[in-house]
Amino acid sequence: MKKNKSAKFLVAFFVIILLFWIFIPIYWVVKTAFSPEEEVWSMGLPRNPTLANFRDIFVGSSGSMAEVTGAMLSISPTIITPLINTLLVAAGAVALTMVVSSIAAYNLARFQYRGKRIVSSYILFAYVFPPFILMVPITIIMNRLGLYDSLFGLTLAHLAYTVPFAIYMLRGYFMGIPQELEEAAMVDGCSRFQSFLRITLPLAAPGLVAVAIFSLVLSWGDAVFATVLINTQDKYTLPIHIGFFLWGGEIVDPGRLAATALVAGLIPAFLYIGIQRFVRMGLVAGAVKG
Amino acid sequence: MKTKTLTSWFYVIPALLILGLILIVPLVYTFWMSLQHMPIGKAPTFVGVRNFSRIFRDPIFYKSVKNTLIYAFPAVAIKAIIGLGVAVLLNQEFRGRGILRGLAILPYALQPFVVCVLFWFVYDYRGIGNALLQAVGLKPIHWLGVQYAMPSLILVNIWHGWPFFYLGFLSGLQSIPGELYESAEIDGASSWQKFFSITLPLLKEVFLIVCGLSLMWTMGDFVIPKMMTAGGPADATLTIPMATYKIAFLLGLNYPLASAYAVTILPIFVILIYFTVRSLE
Repeated sequence: MKKNKSAKFLVAFFVIILLFWIFIPIYWVVKTAFSPEEEVWSMGLPRNPTLANFRDIFVGSSGSMAEVTGAMLSISPTIITPLINTLLVAAGAVALTMVVSSIAAYNLARFQYRGKRIVSSYILFAYVFPPFILMVPITIIMNRLGLYDSLFGLTLAHLAYTVPFAIYMLRGYFMGIPQELEEAAMVDGCSRFQSFLRITLPLAAPGLVAVAIFSLVLSWGDAVFATVLINTQDKYTLPIHIGFFLWGGEIVDPGRLAATALVAGLIPAFLYIGIQRFVRMGLVAGAVKG
Repeated sequence: MKTKTLTSWFYVIPALLILGLILIVPLVYTFWMSLQHMPIGKAPTFVGVRNFSRIFRDPIFYKSVKNTLIYAFPAVAIKAIIGLGVAVLLNQEFRGRGILRGLAILPYALQPFVVCVLFWFVYDYRGIGNALLQAVGLKPIHWLGVQYAMPSLILVNIWHGWPFFYLGFLSGLQSIPGELYESAEIDGASSWQKFFSITLPLLKEVFLIVCGLSLMWTMGDFVIPKMMTAGGPADATLTIPMATYKIAFLLGLNYPLASAYAVTILPIFVILIYFTVRSLE
């Protein structure tokens, strides 16, 4: 491609704007997380960078913030419990999602039958459906089932995000695996389901991993169902836990808030970006309904 | 390979059951609940459309619909423009493009609740938002005060959501065959002419899908209004999802009224869903 000087300059100019646009909000939180208390609101990089904020959120406060945030410290525990809760819920959601979705996706990829169109439309419908409409009924239903304020109930609610999405993505992977392999296995005496378990699933392993990671990210980031379904503090997940740091619209402990946001945000963000290139479905797959 | 319908269904039944339990049952239940009256701690009684007539008389309802539109339409439009711009930019050939393509997804890869925390810092009176204003000679403002709360929220949504458009548009751009541009060049077309008569028309399909999805999800966005302002100040950012939450969980736990809220706006979403699902298939 031919390129003249002014075009090069334009590209460089817009790239710089793009970088500023992306990194200004991120820079601020990263900088604050490593700042000692006195420097949290200064613009530049911290002069005395510290890991104290991270120590505080994992092992409890050193006490220096006690007078400023006395009220908060008494109710704000370390990040450990919410982190474990988040991981437990995500692990449960991923496990259930993978079992249910891989079978259903296999069905959509391989079988021809009456009503298949309705099934696939219905799954797509479930995928794009905005979750807030389900807030009230899901809360009431979980109450009836005795699953209100339980991590298991929250896990089930997260299937509303993960299952339809996983089915759609896995269907694409299964369709990319040659059917002849299964047919050969069936000639050799495998049942249909055995050939699915022993041939197709192992071949789709990269796809399964990608879908599992996406499901984990979706569950990890859920603030909708966690807000309405979880009530007691020892069951809080990260999105709810982080609300501790905003007190009447004011940030109470900038350093620890920033550190918490980094821990809570970076892991899923890296997973998401790392896995992005495995996404085949293109447009919709991996959307977080934002 | 032809398989019997019955065994075929056997494979999807677990998924359909789960989706039924967390989608269809709740939706039907919402309809039923919207026709009830339920004082706290008492059994619901049937009251017909009373909740609906109450909603249609309530100025807060109209305000929340208005707020939702004010929130979603500018946000989607600007996200589309930024997404298109960045897609065109990162479709040029230059060094470092690969890294930039990865970085551009970053705002979208961050969880919505983390994005809200980033902007708590940006919008703090001592934060970087006001520092930027002062750098260009303006006075610091209260970003989440009545006057600026809605534009501030829209900005959060834009910052988080534009890479979704970028991803869609970039894959759209990459599928346009290069020969089209070459033959246009032979015919003497300028860059702008190529953009408007080749690029944009060929992106139309992608554009409609992405906009449909984004409009739906932006209108249904609960996390940003909840975490940034909780619908306040003075209901300035009370969108429909936020209003539903507030009525159901904050103000006297009125599940029937909140259900009626959800049912009332359901047609809008069903129409949007219908068109996007159809274009996706």
